[in-house]
Amino acid sequence: MVTKQVVTIIVLAAILGLGINLFSPHKISYVGQYRPIIAGSGPIIPPEAVSEDPQFIGVDVAELAFKQKSTIFIDARELEEFECGTIPGSINIPFDYLPDDDLGKYFDSALGGNAKDHPIITFCSGSECDLSLHLARNLQAFGYTKVSIFFGGAREWEKTGMAMERRGECGE
Amino acid sequence: MRRVIDNDLLVLCVRLGVGVTFIYASFYKIIDPGAFAKSIWYYHLVPGDLINLIALILPWVELLCGISLILGVLYKGTVVLVNVLVVIFILALSTTIIRGIDIGCGCFKAGMTATESAWKALVFDLIMILFTLQLLFSRSKRWMLASFKVTS
Repeated sequence: MVTKQVVTIIVLAAILGLGINLFSPHKISYVGQYRPIIAGSGPIIPPEAVSEDPQFIGVDVAELAFKQKSTIFIDARELEEFECGTIPGSINIPFDYLPDDDLGKYFDSALGGNAKDHPIITFCSGSECDLSLHLARNLQAFGYTKVSIFFGGAREWEKTGMAMERRGECGE
Repeated sequence: MRRVIDNDLLVLCVRLGVGVTFIYASFYKIIDPGAFAKSIWYYHLVPGDLINLIALILPWVELLCGISLILGVLYKGTVVLVNVLVVIFILALSTTIIRGIDIGCGCFKAGMTATESAWKALVFDLIMILFTLQLLFSRSKRWMLASFKVTS
């Protein structure tokens, strides 16, 4: 009897959930396209990524770019988190505090006047954080052509055993 | 102890409290299943193909459980399901905290193991399971639309 009741509730919920989704303004596909997150097996691509987005790279590509010293790494988190621990040599452009006006000039200045085709990698905390994606989209919109997103972020970087740069205290 | 567990008024209050909590918890997930799917993805526990199906069905399970608890219909099955759900939530939150994943604000800080929000949710669920376990072991049958006679 208990099993029957449990099955009844689940079946009813499935009928309602799957049925109402057909007509919902917030309808989603029944089978999502989510990439399993396994460090080291390639880039992590978030569910909200679209085909026009800059390319996503894995920790191996980020590490190679870091060793070649040919790429600007941009930490998109706020200053406190940046100072708590980041990829060494990164610059900080907190996405949440971007100016409303003259964003193009702001990017040019923050990136030290580097050419628009200079390789750039954006990152934030890790797969739980989408600031790197939003920052990369903005950089791309303002003409930067070689932007990549390291969605594994500082967390995957640190887990891989790569050095972190700590510039300040870690707050709560 | 048995008298407390079986106290009709206490059981009614717990049914109402847990029921309203489940209905409230289901609300935003039903309104925006896409956002809920992303939340599930953050936990990194469920195969990608199943995430959207869970995001569409689980909130309705919560809603139906909440309503059934309050009304006292399909009662014993609902109580079992509610306990299973709370245990799953506790396990999911615990693994999230152990792995240091920030599910609250998406702002992991290097060196920190988990966010305050995950801890708060875990404490909430640990308190919740005390109440849901009471419903599981209580013999109270009062103020229910359908009486339950469990033979198996």
